[in-house]
Amino acid sequence: MSPNGAKQNGEAIRFEGVTKRFGDTTAVDDLNLTIRSGEFFSLLGPSGCGKTTTLRMVAGFEQPTEGSVHLAGEPVEDVPPYRRNVNTVFQSYALFEHLDVEGNVAFGLKRRKVDKDEIRSRVAEALELVQLTGREHSKPAQLSGGQMQRVALARALVNQPSVLLLDEPLGALDLKLRKQMQVELKEIQREVGITFLYVTHDQEEALAMSDRIAVMDQGVVQQSGPPEEIYETPQKTFVAGFIGVSNLLPATVEDGGIRLATGQLVHATVPTDCPAGTSVHCSVRPEKIILEDLEDGMVSLEGEIVERIYLGTTTQVILELGPNLRVISLEQNTDRSRADDRWEIGERIKVGWRPEHALVLR
Amino acid sequence: MSTQGWAERLPVLGRRATRRRRRRRGFDRPRFLRAFFWIFMFFTFAPLAIVALFSFNSTPSLQQFDGFSLQWYDEFLSSATLRESLMASVEIGLVTMVVGTVLGTTLAFALVRARSRVAQASNLVMLIPLVTPEIVAGASALVLFAQIGIELSLATIMIAEITFSISFVTVIVRARLSALNREVEEAALDLGATRMQTIRLIVLPALWPAILAAGLLIFALSFDDFVIAFFTTGESPTPLPVQIYSSIRFGVRPTINAIGTSMLLISFLILAVAVLLPRLLGRREEENVLIGRDAA
Repeated sequence: MSPNGAKQNGEAIRFEGVTKRFGDTTAVDDLNLTIRSGEFFSLLGPSGCGKTTTLRMVAGFEQPTEGSVHLAGEPVEDVPPYRRNVNTVFQSYALFEHLDVEGNVAFGLKRRKVDKDEIRSRVAEALELVQLTGREHSKPAQLSGGQMQRVALARALVNQPSVLLLDEPLGALDLKLRKQMQVELKEIQREVGITFLYVTHDQEEALAMSDRIAVMDQGVVQQSGPPEEIYETPQKTFVAGFIGVSNLLPATVEDGGIRLATGQLVHATVPTDCPAGTSVHCSVRPEKIILEDLEDGMVSLEGEIVERIYLGTTTQVILELGPNLRVISLEQNTDRSRADDRWEIGERIKVGWRPEHALVLR
Repeated sequence: MSTQGWAERLPVLGRRATRRRRRRRGFDRPRFLRAFFWIFMFFTFAPLAIVALFSFNSTPSLQQFDGFSLQWYDEFLSSATLRESLMASVEIGLVTMVVGTVLGTTLAFALVRARSRVAQASNLVMLIPLVTPEIVAGASALVLFAQIGIELSLATIMIAEITFSISFVTVIVRARLSALNREVEEAALDLGATRMQTIRLIVLPALWPAILAAGLLIFALSFDDFVIAFFTTGESPTPLPVQIYSSIRFGVRPTINAIGTSMLLISFLILAVAVLLPRLLGRREEENVLIGRDAA
């Protein structure tokens, strides 16, 4: 399969100042974003952040209040959903209950009056891609959640759209199946080379599958970029807090660093737009927090252990640096037989991190 | 007999006793319900059975069955008036079924899909025909036709019956329609179906059992309706129930038994068609919906 109409390495979707209002609420606020063709792009954010509305504007189920959506370079305001070269995988799967698997998958091709023999071979091909060969004549009611999900995927992919829109497609599956489908989706995307626009509130899912992620909150893209960039160098407190676990320590900018609420002056790179006296947050990932074995040049603080949680591969240690100021540290359990017996609750130990691992966020 | 032997047998005895007890009276099936059931069956079907039996009586007696004969059917069908009345009733039933189902279904769409204030108010207004006493509906229809100067005829009965029936259809179809997942329709649009194709290929197949059930219900209601028909009927032909009522004033003739049995047969035939149609089309699950075995 090769994507129709999508120029290789060209742009697949472009949002130009797109705003969508429902009554008094603004669901999407002045969105400017370009998604390249062949890309696995995720819109990530909490529920109500506008990510699904964004997706629905691409599908054609909603019209932007302002601005315009471009598909393969062409504005699509006047194009109804059934004429857009995009297909959607819905959260509820939205299978046609009265049709069997084959009927569901062939639906789109039949609407486009594709030749009967070609329909048959393309349906078979799509079902093979999602590993459902042999279930052609099952009704949706006879399938498991994972199988229905695959039918929904095959039904969309068989049309070879230029963009595939996925609206939390794995939301209804259990954890194990979800992990498995994440890998499969990524493999399928690589195989068919179609642009995937994936909506999810699950940051782990977005990190695992995407080429690029746009983190949305309150209708605004807070940050977009490759997963590593989003995770390692979040530019906003919201992004740091939403992606993974992060220690967000309140601090004030001073000459040569930031002063934490505990009173210590800590070395850190301060963004140029933060003059001395600005209130900021210092973000450090739990796996970057080092306990006891501090090296030269590291930030060095002291804290009291308040909780240890054994998580299998890691142990989560919660320390109190001062009143209402806690940090979480993740200790790998590689070297020790058990990490939870290293320190006692109540013990005071050294806590630190490399200055380059601390991000100062407004 | 040794003690050990008894120990081996005891559980067996115990199990058998339990099984017998359970069969005789499960706690969820009290014995008096069985009596209720048979009383219900008796009062429902005994009068029908008697009417059917006496429609074949060879004498005019309504007390004593004297032998088999088809003379009352012959009298019924050879009377031009009665034949016309029967045809009129069938016509009323069919026209009401078709027109009422179409209008009621479209109204259901409007009520479920429109988000306007009018639609919300209409949801309540629509229930009024359901709770209006039929005699009021009939009388007010008559007043209306008189006011605007429409001559009473079969058409006026049909108009009144359709008005009365739309609500039944709307209530039934609306329930099914609002249970439909909107994403399914969006999926059809997304896959290249136009709005009309989406309704034809996706929505109507899902609503089909409800529409069929509603159509049958209003056929049955209008086919043998007396009250509304009585008020809105013209001179001739009069619908069968009205015709029977007026003929009773001149004395009860056994022909009525033949007419009643025929009407019963027509109703049963319609029901049989409704149950068999999905089966003939190879769609068993819809038949299950119709006769209340819809588990999913």
